[in-house]
Amino acid sequence: MTKFSLLEQIVLILFLSSGLSFFLYQLILRLKIVLKGKSDFTIDKLPDRLKRVFDEVILHKKVASGGRRSAGIMHALVMYGFIFFGLITINHFLMAFGLYLFNDTFRLWYFRIFGGPWAFLCSFGILALAYRRFVIKPKALGKFSATSAVVTVFIVTLMVTYLIDELHLLKNPIAYKVNWWIHSGVIGGFLFLIPKSKHMHLVLSPFNIFLRPFEIPNHPAIPIDLEASEEELDNLLLDLSRLSKDQALDIFTCVECGRCTDVCPANRGGGILDPKYHFILDLKQPMLESGDANVVDKINVEAGWECTTCQACTEVCPVGNHVEKADEIRSFQVLAEGDVPQEYQKLLRNLQETGNTEGASSSELLQQLPAYTSDKELVLWLGCFAKHAMDPNFISSVKNFTKILDSAGVTYGVLSNEQCSGDPANKLGDKLTYQLLMDQNVEELNKVKNVTTMCPHCVVNLQKEYSKYHEIKYEVKHHTQVISELLEQGKIDINPGSLEKVTYHDPCNLSRTLDEVSAPRNAIKAAAPEFFELEESGKETLCCGAGGALWWKKDSGEGRTHLLRAEQVIESKTDTVVTGCNFCYGMMNQGVGPLTPAGQEPIKVKDVADIVAENLS
Amino acid sequence: MKIAVLTKAIPSYESSIRIDSTSKWIDESVVNFVVNESDSYALEEALQIKEKLDNGTEVVVVTMGSQDNTSKVLKDGLAKGADRAIFIQNEDSYTDPLSIAKLFSENLKDENFDLIFSGLQSDDLGSGQTGVLLGELLGMSTATLGIETDIQDGQIKIKRELESGWFQWVTLPFPASISIQSGINEPRYPSLKGIMGAKRKESKVVDGQLSDSPKQNFLNLFIPKTEKATEKIEGDVDGIVAKLMDILKNKLRVVS
Repeated sequence: MTKFSLLEQIVLILFLSSGLSFFLYQLILRLKIVLKGKSDFTIDKLPDRLKRVFDEVILHKKVASGGRRSAGIMHALVMYGFIFFGLITINHFLMAFGLYLFNDTFRLWYFRIFGGPWAFLCSFGILALAYRRFVIKPKALGKFSATSAVVTVFIVTLMVTYLIDELHLLKNPIAYKVNWWIHSGVIGGFLFLIPKSKHMHLVLSPFNIFLRPFEIPNHPAIPIDLEASEEELDNLLLDLSRLSKDQALDIFTCVECGRCTDVCPANRGGGILDPKYHFILDLKQPMLESGDANVVDKINVEAGWECTTCQACTEVCPVGNHVEKADEIRSFQVLAEGDVPQEYQKLLRNLQETGNTEGASSSELLQQLPAYTSDKELVLWLGCFAKHAMDPNFISSVKNFTKILDSAGVTYGVLSNEQCSGDPANKLGDKLTYQLLMDQNVEELNKVKNVTTMCPHCVVNLQKEYSKYHEIKYEVKHHTQVISELLEQGKIDINPGSLEKVTYHDPCNLSRTLDEVSAPRNAIKAAAPEFFELEESGKETLCCGAGGALWWKKDSGEGRTHLLRAEQVIESKTDTVVTGCNFCYGMMNQGVGPLTPAGQEPIKVKDVADIVAENLS
Repeated sequence: MKIAVLTKAIPSYESSIRIDSTSKWIDESVVNFVVNESDSYALEEALQIKEKLDNGTEVVVVTMGSQDNTSKVLKDGLAKGADRAIFIQNEDSYTDPLSIAKLFSENLKDENFDLIFSGLQSDDLGSGQTGVLLGELLGMSTATLGIETDIQDGQIKIKRELESGWFQWVTLPFPASISIQSGINEPRYPSLKGIMGAKRKESKVVDGQLSDSPKQNFLNLFIPKTEKATEKIEGDVDGIVAKLMDILKNKLRVVS
């Protein structure tokens, strides 16, 4: 065994301890900032969390998904390299002190099974990733990254020096020592390189994935007490500028891959919003400089107003970040600064004064439908979109849903004092107006048991958001869930009449927030045998452009966010596009008509209720 | 500097208007009252001037009418940043601008405002005269249709919007009463601090009574009838033209 002098041992100890001290100092510095965030981490559903770490870290399910499958596999090779080389590294340093972890036989077999093959695979992986980054240069990866170049050199050097060592290629003891020291130097170098760069993800991401909240989105409630003292108000306003602990950890975990920006509908539609920077990286330096998590005011305001709050960024993130921070910056702008774009002021005033988005004083549809009485099974919650005919065609979809309920013998009625769920106020950050509407609605709804609505925005609020503030005694189901259940129970019969091509556009609120992708598909597939999936479907759906209250935004001409999905639908050459959200329905109708090229048959836009009702036997 | 902003509560555009039993006024019980649009621009302009001068400038939001209709208007003004409010309570529905201006002038004359901003016109009655009449009654210089203001050396420069895309700059000495056009700025939204702080601000109620009788009385108020009547004109071309000309000349009287 090679002998190390006392001097060598001292140098090694000094080098490694300085590296470790630096690493720990930087790590603790960041963790201290994370702990200054508001609302604590929750560690509920432990088995689910562990499974998620297994899926997303060990199996790389998110890293190697979609268009980044091959890059993800290359990344897996590198990550497994790091894992397998853990023991080798410990053994490597113990050697300097005449100790060892591996005896010769174990070491040989470990080399044959893990070390040897993985030295090649890991080198291959990192070189492929370097080729992608520095030669192919995908836009999402951003500017030239020096640390990525250094990491490539480091990893290849580690593998080469390891192979030289294990294969005993250097017979000269001095050359052998030099090789050993190069290997050690690189490992120590990582301790200096990791904490201040995006490579921190290799330490933080497993924890961040483990701690990620299950709810998407997961913005803390902002309860407002109008009778609060000045001090309480100041505390509330301070809280508005503070990220949650989970969000703060996200910032330091970010690996800067740019997938969030790749999938962002606002960005794809030509907007300025770049979630990777505006919602994550722009906040990193201010956090490090202030040593605090009170950086909400550093989020680009204009970018924040562009967000459709579709949660595609959060869904795609491979390191477990909740990316979207439109809620934070908007709440800050509205409540603390009183700065609200003019088009939304009208909307918010309508909500305050009339309890609906349109400022209407009555609803024709509400009058036409049976009123709810306690002997009825279901409250049919209409939502402003249907109630005030925001797309007049949608009225027939509501009638189709009632036709289905009638044919199944389900009794239902509408609430005459239904107020807007408050979704637009909530999404625009006007939590005060939101509470006003929520409090009235909860009082009425807590008198009933079962509620159904055709608007996923309403479901999200009535069920998930309200329960952040109130005790909820009722259950809300989306109408596609009701229809799917009626089908399963055999209470309605479908006899598919036509063989036209049908596809489905997943609404963001239904797929990503409510985790419901199967109920609408069950219903559609029963009615339309020629069903096919759109390119971005299920939880990877592309927003129609109406989310985050952007339905009420008067587009100034440049942005195309509201047209992207309609274009995709037209390109799919479908005969009919079905959706499960009234806003998506409205956006499809607005987009598909004008965008369909001359000569192409116009695509029919339907709600799930339409296609089912039309094929009832 | 002391700036008054006249704001009016008007029925919202979305309200369904009904005529009350007297046939001389609308049924206010079913109407949702909101801040008159151009008044909110006038308030914003005053608040921006206050922020720019920042030397003890005071913005006072003033309204008149019945308690029920106007309370929201003053709350909104205070929440947005006005320093205090004056409510001239008057349950009679005066409709003529001169009576209204007299009510304002009698109740505001002791305040000695340097500036009075009002919206260009109220979106319900639309006379557009109150601000300028009040200015005259209080001996102030007046201007209408302001779309830009600039305060310098004890004077105020106003850019006025004339017709056909023409503009005019006028310089007025203080005190001045100016009516403000919509679109001059971007009105703010009341912040939480503003809303909660509004409760602690002074809101003065004065009983506004007028010795004169109103200068204008409504005889009959009615909602315009919308009719859909399609008349089909048939026959040969000459016959159709002759018939059409007859209708345009004698029935609709749009051609002579």
